[in-house]
Amino acid sequence: MRFLAPLINVLLFLALAPLFEGVLRKLTAKIQSRQGPPLRQPYYDLLKLLGKERLDSAGTWPFRFAPLLAFAAILAVVAVIPFGGRANVLAGRMDAILVIYLLTLGGAAVLFGALAGRNTFGLIGASREMVTMIMVEPILAMTLILGAVKIGSLSLAAAVPSAAGASFGISTGLMLVVYLLALQAFVARQPFDIAEAEVELLEGPFIEYSGSNYALFKYAMMLKQMFYAWLFVSVFLPFIRTGIYPLDLLIQLAAMFVVFLLIGLVGATNPRMRIDQAVRYYAVLIVAALAIVGLGVLGH
Amino acid sequence: MPGFLAKKAAKAFPKSLWLYHCNSGACNGCDIEILNVLTPYYDVERFGLKLVGSPRHADVMLLSGAVTRPTLPLVKRAFEAMPGPKLVFGIGSCAAGGGCWFDTYNVTGGAATAVPVDYLIPGCPPRPEAIIYGVALALGLVPQKSAPVELKQVEFPIDAYLRNKAWEERNVIYKLIKD
Amino acid sequence: MWLTSKFKQIVLALKPGTVTLKYPFEKRPVPKDFRGQPVWDHTKCIGCGGCANHCPARTILLRDLCQEIRVLVYDGTKCTYCGRCAELCPEKAIVMSPEFELAAARREDVSQTLELFMLTCNRCGRCFDMEIKNAIDKLDLRGYRYDNIETRTVLRRTTDRMEPAVLDETEAARRPERIGG
Repeated sequence: MRFLAPLINVLLFLALAPLFEGVLRKLTAKIQSRQGPPLRQPYYDLLKLLGKERLDSAGTWPFRFAPLLAFAAILAVVAVIPFGGRANVLAGRMDAILVIYLLTLGGAAVLFGALAGRNTFGLIGASREMVTMIMVEPILAMTLILGAVKIGSLSLAAAVPSAAGASFGISTGLMLVVYLLALQAFVARQPFDIAEAEVELLEGPFIEYSGSNYALFKYAMMLKQMFYAWLFVSVFLPFIRTGIYPLDLLIQLAAMFVVFLLIGLVGATNPRMRIDQAVRYYAVLIVAALAIVGLGVLGH
Repeated sequence: MPGFLAKKAAKAFPKSLWLYHCNSGACNGCDIEILNVLTPYYDVERFGLKLVGSPRHADVMLLSGAVTRPTLPLVKRAFEAMPGPKLVFGIGSCAAGGGCWFDTYNVTGGAATAVPVDYLIPGCPPRPEAIIYGVALALGLVPQKSAPVELKQVEFPIDAYLRNKAWEERNVIYKLIKD
Repeated sequence: MWLTSKFKQIVLALKPGTVTLKYPFEKRPVPKDFRGQPVWDHTKCIGCGGCANHCPARTILLRDLCQEIRVLVYDGTKCTYCGRCAELCPEKAIVMSPEFELAAARREDVSQTLELFMLTCNRCGRCFDMEIKNAIDKLDLRGYRYDNIETRTVLRRTTDRMEPAVLDETEAARRPERIGG
């Protein structure tokens, strides 16, 4: 099972990420009192994008390479996480710091692609994406480090469930609130989808991409969404561990579905924040996260 | 691309068309009707259509407005920036044939002078239902209702008339209509 | 405080349910005096050309084929659905139908063509003497109108164009002088 777990992780994530995105779109539509696309719409979107002609609009290799890098980074992260509470065979070689590094690499790949496109809108989108990354990566790091501090080891299988499982103290409760407040920026939705501001920036960093490159970027974004929902579920919710692997998977997937409903509700009812407002908001959250890790070190 | 993936992509194409709206000198009446079509009342997203901001992401260009002289090269560039397979819808009478201004000094005469038009949706401005009808026609959900109409008052058995008419028929009028 | 207002917002948003009209699958009614595509009745039309003369988009074209036949072509791509033709027609042969589902794949799909029989004179039994030497009557002989149906343009009966130089020389059109010189 330990050997099969990475493969099951990857397959499950690849198969279900567009479904969760479809749930988000349908929920947004229902809140706006309209019928909305069918639930399988993102699957059709991705398939159609694969069939489009791929215009290599900037003839340079970073332009072609960036979507592959982003997709590969997020797939690597997905293969390693203890989905369903089971550590897998790769966990011995990965720890929390490497996960943070891979996620940052994925974000950097987006920047890579945007800057290689040589488009002014892409440039503005890239600079905003950079600011967003600088804002939210510390909170992600603090979340993982809180678990590591509590159990004394950086390995993923120990660090991720330990924040809740071992000792649900004040620090974990406060970190839960901070993570929820930051969740919308992790998944790039309103009120914090500044980088991909649809009407303002004409899709921001992805403006020059078309066809299968764009499909890879979109898929990487969907996988990232699902990963952050999984992180919330597995770090903060005390895990009901039945011994059966498929049942554990189903419980985690159901909890992720509820988190997606929350993301959709908040996303559909909020306007988009300006970049300076968002930076001020996140400065407060980063300081709070640091304080919470300090509390965790002190033993609470 | 492997064969079965190509087939699946072709089947998914009509289920998820992405629209790019291009205004080439319109009075904004047709643009407002296009925005109307995206509102909850006439929701066009239930067919999988989405409005995107960049022509590189789009499959369908919604062209509104009689193509004026300054916008002619820009419309051509936006059309070339779209990856194939692509469609063009001409929305409104201005895009269909130049509208009331088809022979003025600044108008080149409708969408067909700039890009190859696939479907035209006449109207000034077309009702949102008419735009949805055009979209449904492109998707194959409804049959086309408009067809060329020819009405005659009398059928003439006169020799000279028949000769004249036959000449006109062959060389002048119906040649254009059959084109 | 902010949180409760967000909950209230969500409840308010979900109250109407789904308001989307199932349009292409259920017909929508049109308002009472809706101006859709104009429809010609060939049994009533007398070929006067009033509609063609007053169409603001010049989308109604008329041509005499021979002495008795006049052809009217309504090229619907430029129509603005203003209703002037229907209002003018002396025989009420044009009706603005409530038809708005006009999307088509080709330009010719929205056109209507009428062939009209023009009567000959009651006294002499013919329309025009074909041997005309007078230039003015020759113009009349080309037919009431001779629009270019092939390229769908209106051909004016005179070739005079508006020349700005001629306007300056014309007495009647002299612009008023500025007061004070």
